[in-house]
Amino acid sequence: MTTVTLQYYAQLREQAGTGGEQLSTAAATLRELYDELRSRHGFLLASDALKVAVNAQFSDWDRALHEGDTVVFIPPVAGG
Amino acid sequence: MNSFSLSAVPVDLVPLREALRHPGSGGFCSFEGWVRNSNEGREVSGLEYEAYAELALAEGERIVAEAHARYGMLAAHCVHRTGDLRIGDLAVWIGVSAAHRDEAFRACRYIIDEIKHRLPIWKKEHYLSGDTAWVACSHTERAHEHEPPTAPADHGHVHHRDASVPAFSPDYSRQTRLRDVGDAGQAKLAAARVLVIGAGGLGCPVLSYLAGAGVGTLGIVDGDVLDASNLHRQTLYDARDIGQRKVDLAARRIAALNPAVSVHTYAQPLHAGNVAEVFAQYDLVVECTDDMRSRYLGNDAAVLTGTPLILASVYQYEGQLQVVSAKPGEPCLRCLWPDEPAPGVAGSCVESGVLGPVPGVLGTMQAVEALKILLDLPRPAGSALLLVDLLDIGTQRLPIDVSRGCARHGGCAAVAQRALAQAQHDCDVDLIFDSLHDAIAAGYRLVDVREPDEIAAQPLDAPSCCVPSAQLAAACTAELPPGRLLLVCASGRRSAHLARELRGQGRHDVYSLAGGVLALRPLGDRVPAMTKVRGAP
Repeated sequence: MTTVTLQYYAQLREQAGTGGEQLSTAAATLRELYDELRSRHGFLLASDALKVAVNAQFSDWDRALHEGDTVVFIPPVAGG
Repeated sequence: MNSFSLSAVPVDLVPLREALRHPGSGGFCSFEGWVRNSNEGREVSGLEYEAYAELALAEGERIVAEAHARYGMLAAHCVHRTGDLRIGDLAVWIGVSAAHRDEAFRACRYIIDEIKHRLPIWKKEHYLSGDTAWVACSHTERAHEHEPPTAPADHGHVHHRDASVPAFSPDYSRQTRLRDVGDAGQAKLAAARVLVIGAGGLGCPVLSYLAGAGVGTLGIVDGDVLDASNLHRQTLYDARDIGQRKVDLAARRIAALNPAVSVHTYAQPLHAGNVAEVFAQYDLVVECTDDMRSRYLGNDAAVLTGTPLILASVYQYEGQLQVVSAKPGEPCLRCLWPDEPAPGVAGSCVESGVLGPVPGVLGTMQAVEALKILLDLPRPAGSALLLVDLLDIGTQRLPIDVSRGCARHGGCAAVAQRALAQAQHDCDVDLIFDSLHDAIAAGYRLVDVREPDEIAAQPLDAPSCCVPSAQLAAACTAELPPGRLLLVCASGRRSAHLARELRGQGRHDVYSLAGGVLALRPLGDRVPAMTKVRGAP
C-alpha cells in the first residue's frame, strides 16, 4: 500500500466534500488512483478532462505512485 | 440611420422623433433653433445657410458620438437646415432619448453648443434695410465646459473626455515613485493599448486598475447587458444600470475614472473571422469571460499575432491564472488543455455559484500581471498555471512543460492556425430560427439532444428524433439519420459543441439551433417565415 496526500480543486473539491485528504491505496499509477477515487467520491469528470500534478509538477496519468507523493487533481474552470 | 444630417428643405420632425424611441428610454429632450427677427440690433428678414457639407457631416457625427461617450444616452439625432430660411423657420433640430432626463438634457445641450461652435456652417443674414452679411455661427457659451469634472450631480454619468476641459489632470505620482516605474514607465503605460475581453467579475477590476494606472487605450469586448445577479461581483456597475449594455456602462465608468484613457468598445463577442485582426491592434489582451470558446479563440489569436494573453477563470472559492506570452518556445493554453472542454465539464458562475470577491482577486491579479508585462517588471521565469485557493488562502504554481504540449503536434502556431481555420469553417454552425417548423420547412431534420427528463419537462412542438448528447457523441456518424441535421438543446451550447464534434468527424451538414429551446419565440410573437431563416455566424 502507498500513502499519498491528495488535493482537490473546483468540481472535485465540491464532489469530495473536502479540499484534500491522505489515502492509503493499492493503486500503482495515477490513473488507477483516480479510478479508485471516482468510485469512492462519485467524481463525474473522466481523467482525460483533468490535469494531474505530482509534487508540484504536471504529470502523465500512467506515472507510478510513490510513497509520500502529493497529488493534485485540476479540472478546467470557466467562471468569470 | 446617421446621427447627423443636413437638409435643404423643411424638415418633417415626426419620423425623426419616432426613430429615437427606445424601450429603455425614460426621457426625451429636443432643442429647436429658429430664425429670429433680429441679430445684434439689426432687423433680419431671413437668412441663408451654407455648409461645407462633407466636413459638416463628419463633424456633426463626431459631436453626437462625443455626446454618447459623455452622457451615455440611448439615441440621438441632429439635423441642420441649409438654404434660404424665413423668420420662424426651423434652422436646427436635436432630439435625444436617454434612460434618465439628466443625460437627455445634458446631451442635448452639449450637441447644440458644439454644433454652434464647431460646425463649418455660415449664415448670410438678409436685413430689412436690404443689405446682407455673412455671419460665422461660432460665438457661443459652452455650458458643459463649466460642469464640475468629477462631481456627478445626482448620479455618476458626468464624463469629460474633451481636451478643452481643464479641470482634471491625472496624478500618477504614487506609482511613478516606484523605482521600476518612474516617468519612463508611465510613458510606456500611456502608449499601451490593452484589450479586455469580458467586462464582468474578472473584467471589472482589470478595467478599473488599468484605467487608473493610465493605460492609454483600453478596448472592451462584451455582448451582455447588466443583470441584477451580476452586481455582487461586478463592481463597476450600479443597480440603476440593469438592462444596459456592459460595454457602454464600463466605457462611461472609465471615462469618469480617468478621462485621459481612450476607450474602444466591441458590443459583440469576437469571432474567428475578426479575432486576429482585433488582437493585432493591441499590445496585450486580458481574457476575462466565463466562456471557454472565447478563451480558446483568444489563445489562438494571441499565438498567431504574438500578442501576450492573460487568462483567468474562477470556480466558487478558487481560481486559475495563466499568462500566455505568445513568444516562440513558450507554452499556450492548448499546451495544457489541448481542446475546449465539452459543455458542463468546466463549471460556470451560473451553474456552480461564486463568492463575489473571488473573481475580484483573480481579476486584480490579472491587472498586476498586465502592468508587469507593460512595464517590463520582474516576473518568474517560465510559464506556469497558478492555482489560487481562497478557502485555504493558498497558491500553487505548476510549471508547464512546453515539450509535452503543442510541440508534439507541430508547435503552438501550427495548432492555433488549424484551430482558427476550423473555427472559421464552423462559423455557420449556429442557425437562428423563430420556430422549429421553420427549420423543418427549410429542410432540416431535428435531433433533440437533451436528456429524457428535460424533454419530458418541455417537449418540442415539432417532429424530431431524440438522441441524448452523451449517446450522440459516442455514436458513429454513419448511424445518424441522413440529410441536414439541426441539433437542439436547452441553450444551444451542447448542440453547438456536438455539431462541431460531428463536423470534425466528417458530417459537414450538421447545425445547431442558436440559443436552443430558450430562444424559440412564443407562438404569438412570430413573423412571417420568409424573413426569419438566417444564419448567425
